[in-house]
Amino acid sequence: MPKAVEVKNLSKSYGNIKAVDDISFDVDENEIFALIGPNGAGKSTTLRILATVLSLSEGSASIYGLDVQKEADKVRHIISYLPEEAGAYKTLSGISYLKFMAALFSDERHKQKEYVDMAIGICGLGERLKDKVKTYSKGMTRKLLLARTVMTRPRLAILDEPTSGLDVINALEIRNIVRDLSSQGMAVLLSSHNMLEIEFLSHRVAIIDKGKIHDIGTAEQLKEEYSAKNLEEVFMSLTQKM
Amino acid sequence: MRKFFILLKKEVQELLTPQMLVPLLAVVVVFIFVGKIIGSETSKAKVPQAIEVLDLDNSATSQAVIEIIKKTNFAPNVSQSGSAEQIVTSAKSKNEKVALIIPKGFEAGVNNLQPQKVEVYTIMKNFSVMASVNSQILKAALAAINDGLSNRLLAKANPKINPIAIKQPVLENDFVIIGEKQANVSPAAVAGFITSQTTLIPIILFLVIVLASQLIATSIASEKENKTLETLLSSPVSRKAVVASKLMAAGLVALLTAGVYLFGMRYYMAGITGGAIGGGGATDAATQEAIAKLGLTLTTPNYLLLGLSLFLGILAALAIAIILGSFAEDAKAAQGVVAPLMVLVLIPYIFTMFLDVSSLSQGMKIFIWLIPFSHPFMATPNLLLGQVADVWYGILYLAFFFVVFVFIAAKIFASDKIFTLRLSFKKKKPI
Repeated sequence: MPKAVEVKNLSKSYGNIKAVDDISFDVDENEIFALIGPNGAGKSTTLRILATVLSLSEGSASIYGLDVQKEADKVRHIISYLPEEAGAYKTLSGISYLKFMAALFSDERHKQKEYVDMAIGICGLGERLKDKVKTYSKGMTRKLLLARTVMTRPRLAILDEPTSGLDVINALEIRNIVRDLSSQGMAVLLSSHNMLEIEFLSHRVAIIDKGKIHDIGTAEQLKEEYSAKNLEEVFMSLTQKM
Repeated sequence: MRKFFILLKKEVQELLTPQMLVPLLAVVVVFIFVGKIIGSETSKAKVPQAIEVLDLDNSATSQAVIEIIKKTNFAPNVSQSGSAEQIVTSAKSKNEKVALIIPKGFEAGVNNLQPQKVEVYTIMKNFSVMASVNSQILKAALAAINDGLSNRLLAKANPKINPIAIKQPVLENDFVIIGEKQANVSPAAVAGFITSQTTLIPIILFLVIVLASQLIATSIASEKENKTLETLLSSPVSRKAVVASKLMAAGLVALLTAGVYLFGMRYYMAGITGGAIGGGGATDAATQEAIAKLGLTLTTPNYLLLGLSLFLGILAALAIAIILGSFAEDAKAAQGVVAPLMVLVLIPYIFTMFLDVSSLSQGMKIFIWLIPFSHPFMATPNLLLGQVADVWYGILYLAFFFVVFVFIAAKIFASDKIFTLRLSFKKKKPI
């Protein structure tokens, strides 16, 4: 059985700049795996490559055995990607946006309805879904987009900073949604620079900085290994060693 | 194909916003309103205009002059006594715009071959075309009077000769040759007719290209700005469908916009010309017959070729705009990045409107031909002149241009370039 994600010696360069430098990791089914690191560490670039949005420069990456570069069309059917600080089409209502995205994922009407119904349940926006997206707060937009990301029940959800810029309540709601979906069988690959949040949410984490992965493990393993109280301390001791 | 239509519907919805539709409709309403006002003013000018005439001579000749004035759409209020001041005051009080004084001794002077001066007072309240139109008509009436009186005097002096032969010993008989065809008509009449029939095509083409280019560039830039493009490109939808839906939506919305503008402009122009766009309806039967004889009419295959040329011109512009739009990071920048395209459209628009491209130097001709948008602008005159091969070359060049640029656009969308292309003129400062 192939892994949900398998990344081997992946690198991505923009001219002379190496945004991602020879990283390797894998994600199991049902697992919530997090890439944690500061801004500019290479988290988003890695997720964009796995979401088939960017090409890779060296190495390989596959999703459930499908090569992200050579079999991108097939990969797009089994993943769903939530970019960092993404928006929705402002002139559409929330419900129209969900219907539009559902129609891109399935030709069958009943499937589309199923997706939209699921998204309505997850986002919890109720009657506000009839309003134009441009009238939504940041938290409402993020919930709508998260619901859109997971409504198709992708085999892998790729979430880039899913709670970035949200207040405590909205962030908590989104964390609960992610945990629920994972328990229902969805693999989740996410990124965050909020290391404390990730400690409570993910099964395993990879600590990334300046394009390189420094260590991978469960939060408990890493804390024990580096005699740290939390992942922030792990990160500090790892990056200061370099 | 199904996903293409889903994307197309979304693109059209994104473009047809109230912010876009309301100003568009407002412009059309203004066009119609102004057209109606000008139309009513023009109609007013068509009814016989009252003028004050002071006939101090009260002779058969002065009566004949007044009769000619009546025939040129004036309603003269004639009086036989008074002064210039009185007649002008009277005209002002009646809101009349012209007053005419025929001096005493007019008939005797004319008969003694002494040129006579009639005084024409034009009361100007503004400097518009309408303000001076009456005195212009009166000038034409006086020219007719001069002609009539001089004929009479010449006939009186020598009844044996034809006055016209004295005044115009040389007459012009115009022939226009187009290709192998020839007609007895003046070149000015032909040029006037053709211009009246073809004025709107370049205007519409220019409008559509400018609008469509801005729409598509803004659409891509907005998607990049809102990061909706990343979501879209990670979805199970082909990049070609994304590019094609954007092209089609921008083209459709631009056509709709141009159609609405055209509708408004027709009202506006109809107001100015009194019903006939560009004065085309005013062409006399002889000119129409000569035009037909010269083959200066578009046949159905001609119209199809013209349509194909215009359509490919718009598509070529959209293909360039989609690439230029990829360089814009936000909607604001999108307006700027399409500027080179505007210049490429403006050059042939001006050249084909004011110059005869065929008489330009070889270098300039090649320059004009290399610009793809020159071809739809030149298509109508080329078709009218029977140069169908030139139109076909233009169509083939446009098709080639379109295919190449769509290929480049699809490559950009299929690669990282769509996210990494930027226009930056700033040099990185050393740290």
